[in-house]
Amino acid sequence: MNSTNEPRRSTSSAAIQASLKRRYARERRFQWYGRLAVLTGFVFLFILLADIVSKGYPAFTQQYIMVEVDFDKEQLGLAADATAEQIADADYLGLIKRSLREMFPEVTSRSEKKQLYRLVSMGAEYQLRDMVMDDPGLLGQTREIWLQAHSEAGSYLKGQVAADSDQADRKVKDQQVLWLDQLRAAGRTESRFNTTFFTAGDSREPEMAGIKVALYGSFFTLLVTFFIAFPIGVSAAVYLEEFAPRNRLTDLIEININNLAAVPSIVFGLLGLAVFINFFELPRSAPLVGGIVLSLMTLPTIIITSRAAIQSVSPSIREAALGVGASKLQTVFHHVLPVAMPGILTGSIIGMAQALGESAPLLMIGMVAFIMDAPTGITDPATVLPVQIYLWADSPERGFTEKTSAAIMVLMGFLIVMNALAIYLRKRFELK
Amino acid sequence: MDSPKALNSLSSAAGENVMDTGSTQETVASEAAPRIPLDIRDHGSVGDAYETIGTPLVENAKMSARKVNVYYGDKQAITDVSLDIGRNEVIAMIGPSGCGKSTFLRTLNRMNDIIPICRVEGEFSLDGEDIYGSGQDTVLLRARVGMVFQKPNPFPKSIYENVAYGPRIHGLAHNRAEMDEIVENSLRRASLFEEVKDSLDKPGTGLSGGQQQRLCIARAIAVSPEVILMDEPCSALDPIATARIEELIDELKENYTIAIVTHSMQQAARVSQRTAYFHLGKLIEVGETKQIFTMPRHELTENYITGRFG
Ligand SMILES: Nc1ncnc2c1ncn2[C@@H]1O[C@H](COP(=O)(O)OP(=O)(O)OP(=O)(O)O)[C@@H](O)[C@H]1O
Ligand SMILES: [Mg+2]
Repeated sequence: MNSTNEPRRSTSSAAIQASLKRRYARERRFQWYGRLAVLTGFVFLFILLADIVSKGYPAFTQQYIMVEVDFDKEQLGLAADATAEQIADADYLGLIKRSLREMFPEVTSRSEKKQLYRLVSMGAEYQLRDMVMDDPGLLGQTREIWLQAHSEAGSYLKGQVAADSDQADRKVKDQQVLWLDQLRAAGRTESRFNTTFFTAGDSREPEMAGIKVALYGSFFTLLVTFFIAFPIGVSAAVYLEEFAPRNRLTDLIEININNLAAVPSIVFGLLGLAVFINFFELPRSAPLVGGIVLSLMTLPTIIITSRAAIQSVSPSIREAALGVGASKLQTVFHHVLPVAMPGILTGSIIGMAQALGESAPLLMIGMVAFIMDAPTGITDPATVLPVQIYLWADSPERGFTEKTSAAIMVLMGFLIVMNALAIYLRKRFELK
Repeated sequence: MDSPKALNSLSSAAGENVMDTGSTQETVASEAAPRIPLDIRDHGSVGDAYETIGTPLVENAKMSARKVNVYYGDKQAITDVSLDIGRNEVIAMIGPSGCGKSTFLRTLNRMNDIIPICRVEGEFSLDGEDIYGSGQDTVLLRARVGMVFQKPNPFPKSIYENVAYGPRIHGLAHNRAEMDEIVENSLRRASLFEEVKDSLDKPGTGLSGGQQQRLCIARAIAVSPEVILMDEPCSALDPIATARIEELIDELKENYTIAIVTHSMQQAARVSQRTAYFHLGKLIEVGETKQIFTMPRHELTENYITGRFG
């Protein structure tokens, strides 16, 4: 027996040895493909992020110019006993223009004056107005005041415009460059953190534009989406998985839910327009309708991931619960859902993240309006971050380019926060 | 052990449906066998119309099953089984792997209802009430007929919560102290308390296999069911824990009725009053445990208990 077995064994082990080499080589090659794929992904991600951050970070600073302002009552056309209303309506623009002219007395021609006035932001007059309204005692005094720079002047101060380039190619003219250099030399320019970006709504002037409306709009829209899509999605998943009979009808429903997940989002926008706005006459441009439309879009995602999560709960847990006399509902709510919850939450947050980044369907229902005041509820007109990004990306001004990237950074920040939340919740539920 | 050939051939046949091979051997029945069959595939068949030998029925039964057929899809797992479970008795169910012991046990508290492809025929009663009747509530039934499953399946919750869950949903404890008592008592009777008393808030799934099995026993007895169905409750236990569980079973039978599936003949002999031998979905023989183990009347029973297969 042994004599016949022995050579056989050695040949088979030789064969295995020979094949081992090939097998290991294949494994190594596969590992390299994998590494290459991961690397490629990272490179693209890095390029994308680097591009956005490098374009967007200047938007987080804002340039100021110090101007000596004489709050002259005559210039403002205010009497000694001016009412608050009169103070509010006074001509602060004129005040600024005069102050600027006094700073650069050599400027006389109309066109030069116009350029001079364009050094400070159009919003500067409101800054002055608010100061005087807060403290009417300012009237008649002279103060050194930091006024927001015009976006073009600001971008020169930020070093985004080369002074030696052709004047025709840039908006800051040579004359303005000269003035700005003088101001900088005199220490009359300053760079500060851009709070306007977070506290203002949209504006036609880049330096006055902010994402507050879009932030609030996104928040309210997601709130509506979550409170519609999560309960409905999870209940539908639980019903379909645990209670529904398996028959043609439920098969059909399942197929259609899967199909729904593949429907282009703009179709949901059209649906929202036709049904919720034209038929139910819900307010246009409002987070309420936006949220409903996005929840229709997220529902399939939540249902599909929740069903998968519920399905993956071991049947032995169900048996155990039923075995001690739990009802079907108790089994589901006490045992199946807690175990499935991490998966359900992950799916829901992915769905919500999709909704947060969605713009096309919201364009359809009018959440693209130019809105300056932040919404205070789900029925006020608003816009959302991706739409705001889309709007700004469309604007030619240099100031909006950096705002676009900055808004993308904020949006990505929120996505990171949401994903972190998903991970945190998953960890928390898994510990239990 | 003395017949390796039989063991080998059994393992190759395990899980397959091996019913329709021996048309010539079909008549091998209860009478004295001319020779001892060595291969289950040659001699396993009993014939479609068969009769259970012994005393499957008893007076004043706690549970009774009549003419039970169970199918998984097209496959029949239980064929025409009638069996009574007496009041305050321990009945052991033995038989080779895949013969339908678990399946039969699960029909007794309708656990098979949750398997979509499973179809159960027959009449079942608990204290004379129809178990599968339209008026029967499965929740109540399962509270009265508890079960320890073949595979330990603790809830992914704390040890305490595992035991407390049943009493809580049935409202058996009125306050925290009562609940603590039920939990401690159940764990003690399942001889697990000493090991886990300091870690009641740790997850039950973190226990060893044998500890999980005892936890599931504690969970089942915590709701004080009238009947306890135990599917190999000691398969993962060491001799000491096994002995304790057997003591528990002895003690429980004063007030409860117990059906236990086991692969250990010694255990069946030690704890049960009656023993039922299943073979390929059929109930071959039922009788006093002593009689089954000393004087089996059916050849298949004899082969099994003498270790010729299974
Ligand atoms: N869920 C199921 N789906 C399909 N067939 C099943 C299912 N459960 C059991 N069966 C089949 O029913 C037959 C009896 O199985 P059962 O689990 O009752 O055997 P058993 O006697 O408990 O075996 P063991 O001693 O190995 O636990 C087997 O042939 C098995 O393949
Ligand atoms: Mg079994």
